[in-house]
Amino acid sequence: MNIDNFTDAIKNCRFCFMCRHLSGIGNVSFSEADTPRVRASLLYGVTLCPDNLANPDLIDTLYRSDLSAACRTNCVSHYDENGLNLAARRDIVALGKAPEAVAKLAKKLAKNANWQISGKGDVLYFEDDYTAAAKTIAPAFDKLMKAAKVAYRTVKGGGLGKALYILGYEKEAKAMAKAFADLVNKSGAKTLVVSNPAAYDAMVNDYPAFGLKLKAKVVHSSEFIASLKLKFKSAGQLYYLPSDFLKNYNPGYAGPEKLLKALKAKLLPFGTNDEESYTCGEGAVVLPALYPELVKKLAKYIAERADNPKTDKIAVASPYTRIYLAKEGKLNVLSLEELAAACLA
Amino acid sequence: MQIAHDSYMYEMIRSELTDILGEDYVVTRDADRFGHSVDYYWVPEMWHDRGMETPKPDFILYPGSAEDVSRILKLANHYHIPVTPWGGGSGSQGGALPIYGGIILDMKRMNKFLGIDKEACTVTCQTGLIAKHLEWRCNKEGYSTMHLPASISCATIGGFLAHRGTGVLSTKYGKIEDMVMSLQVVTPTGDIINTLPVPRHASGPDLTMLFLGSEGTLGVITQVTLKVHPVPEAREFRAYIFKDFHTAMSAGAELMRSRLQPCAIRLYDETETKTHVSKVFGINLDKGAYLVFGFDGRKDIVACQMKYAREIMEDKYHGQDLGSKGGEYWWENKYKFFYPPFMFHLPQAFGTLDTVATFSNIEKVYHAMKKVVNDNYPQARFIGHFSHWYDWGCMLYARFIFEGKDVPSDPREAVALYNRVWDLAIRAAIANGGVINEHHGVGLKLGHLMKDLYGTAMPVLEGIKKQLDPNNIMNPGKLGFKGA
Repeated sequence: MNIDNFTDAIKNCRFCFMCRHLSGIGNVSFSEADTPRVRASLLYGVTLCPDNLANPDLIDTLYRSDLSAACRTNCVSHYDENGLNLAARRDIVALGKAPEAVAKLAKKLAKNANWQISGKGDVLYFEDDYTAAAKTIAPAFDKLMKAAKVAYRTVKGGGLGKALYILGYEKEAKAMAKAFADLVNKSGAKTLVVSNPAAYDAMVNDYPAFGLKLKAKVVHSSEFIASLKLKFKSAGQLYYLPSDFLKNYNPGYAGPEKLLKALKAKLLPFGTNDEESYTCGEGAVVLPALYPELVKKLAKYIAERADNPKTDKIAVASPYTRIYLAKEGKLNVLSLEELAAACLA
Repeated sequence: MQIAHDSYMYEMIRSELTDILGEDYVVTRDADRFGHSVDYYWVPEMWHDRGMETPKPDFILYPGSAEDVSRILKLANHYHIPVTPWGGGSGSQGGALPIYGGIILDMKRMNKFLGIDKEACTVTCQTGLIAKHLEWRCNKEGYSTMHLPASISCATIGGFLAHRGTGVLSTKYGKIEDMVMSLQVVTPTGDIINTLPVPRHASGPDLTMLFLGSEGTLGVITQVTLKVHPVPEAREFRAYIFKDFHTAMSAGAELMRSRLQPCAIRLYDETETKTHVSKVFGINLDKGAYLVFGFDGRKDIVACQMKYAREIMEDKYHGQDLGSKGGEYWWENKYKFFYPPFMFHLPQAFGTLDTVATFSNIEKVYHAMKKVVNDNYPQARFIGHFSHWYDWGCMLYARFIFEGKDVPSDPREAVALYNRVWDLAIRAAIANGGVINEHHGVGLKLGHLMKDLYGTAMPVLEGIKKQLDPNNIMNPGKLGFKGA
């Protein structure tokens, strides 16, 4: 089983409570099961009795995790309960026990590969479905590119395997990733820019693990915009909520911070701490399709921590968070692209 | 609770509970029932580790208000259903385990921060709030609860109140019972009561103190007002190595007698210094006993306190100064001891035998406990540190550890071994002026020793329990009270 590769996490997380306060779903469901401690304990039970993996309650518990990986970041030993959860999902799928809603969603996602490339230039911009759904992010990126006189092409019209991988459909994820990588490589693009941190993580971490190599350099839009040396007026006072994928999955990645510096943003501390994930479940990628009520609760939890919910200006790196924090949390949220475009001198 | 889950009576009760709380807050999923069957107590952990079934609740309820709690307790009285309050699940004594099934009252939905009174320096909150979240919220406004135990990330405020918890700064700021102003409590029969608004008075016996440490056996604490403190301008630490534990203890006691008011003192015995402090800090401390202390407050006053404390450590007891870095390193890494792999873990068998005694008795207690463990179980390791200091004495955080190879593979035999060690060590503590516990509580683990400790006073406690909880629904079988 895939979980056998995570015995360290099983053994060390199953009786450890040190990250309980960072459990995103646990903090809104209040359930003990929605914590790394109990998820690891339940999976220890699977190592003793593999039949336990077919328990619908256990499966439900695993699929409703927000996968923020805040626990891994803040653990002094960085035990990977997040990776354990993903491995268990792969085992569940291999066992044919994925819940009906998950299987149906995976089938839909696997068909979502109708990419089309338009435009001209060495730079290829991936407009994923969340970026497209946000509606305002791609136009803001376009405004910035025009200001910098950068010719670019856009690829859109599908996923790139990340959501399938998150759901435990590894084979299907690899197939989609390969098709996408082939398309990008065939395009001859030298730089691939993504607004969605999930896409960034997929191409920087998942693709190499799948044995795929992209010829283009992958950068998050924040890093790319910061590199253009555009002239900006000050963004003023604002709050910035980091992306799970950039902060917890790619520790040390500082693209957003570079851009915020270029925008001369005066950052205010959001909420009470910088350890919790304030992304509405970005790490789980498709949580709204499976557990919309939990996403609403996550957004409400974040909104309750805003100093002035109606007037605070909040920047986010993730189009996913941009959508759900504005929709469910009713906050004044904007993407880094929108923020930068608004600051063009 | 003896009602089969496939009976119509089970569904009748579920319907009534749903009527009180709504469907979302009455949970019976297997994963949740399992989640509430193992806490931080070694016995259920080991039991689960060996693939054994752990006692599970029938219903997990998430009340949102004291009124919800009241209605649940009235219903539980009607049907004689055991009710076990649950906070964060970090209890090490089995106090929140649903050993008779029934209802788990998970308090975490009652997590409202109700505000800081800056005039009085107090904070009011519901008791299901995770302590770290409360601390962060206070910090944002420039205050601290100063209650900073290793379990802060998991435990709820209610959990601390229920077992009289303590934190790393207790030497100056006190245990949780010293921090409480007043409580709102739902009694076992469902009455919502408030204790007096201030802790110092001459208005009769103190009801607040009755409920603190009652571990959910006398009611459910639903709201609390606690003292808070301005975040101090300065906090400084300094560490020393003394030639032996006795000298270090004498220096620590002298520091307390000097009334210089340190915020923390921690003294590790020779064994723990060598094995644990060295490991966590990554430095070689082969000999002697490590002692660290600190002061906080105004910078100039801290400097003054530190000057006099250093005189005690260096001039009178000849401690080897590890400097402020040696002390600050401890402060920065104070919780690292509790993260895996630094914390003890299965297949080891381990327990924390914390107790407290006066300075006249504490070394006797330490040596008596160590001797009884070593004499009876030479294969076990006995280590100890002293981490909560008072004007009159201090706490011993003694621990025993059996390596996995020395733990019986049969879980029943493992439990028997484990309990024998506890009984011997705790009785040795009581015989020398100690008590059965200092800050982890009694729970299931130590309930049977309550009679040893209280003697003829135990019926007084039992009488209070009977008066408040005539149907014995609240957390039966804990704190030495009778089972369901």
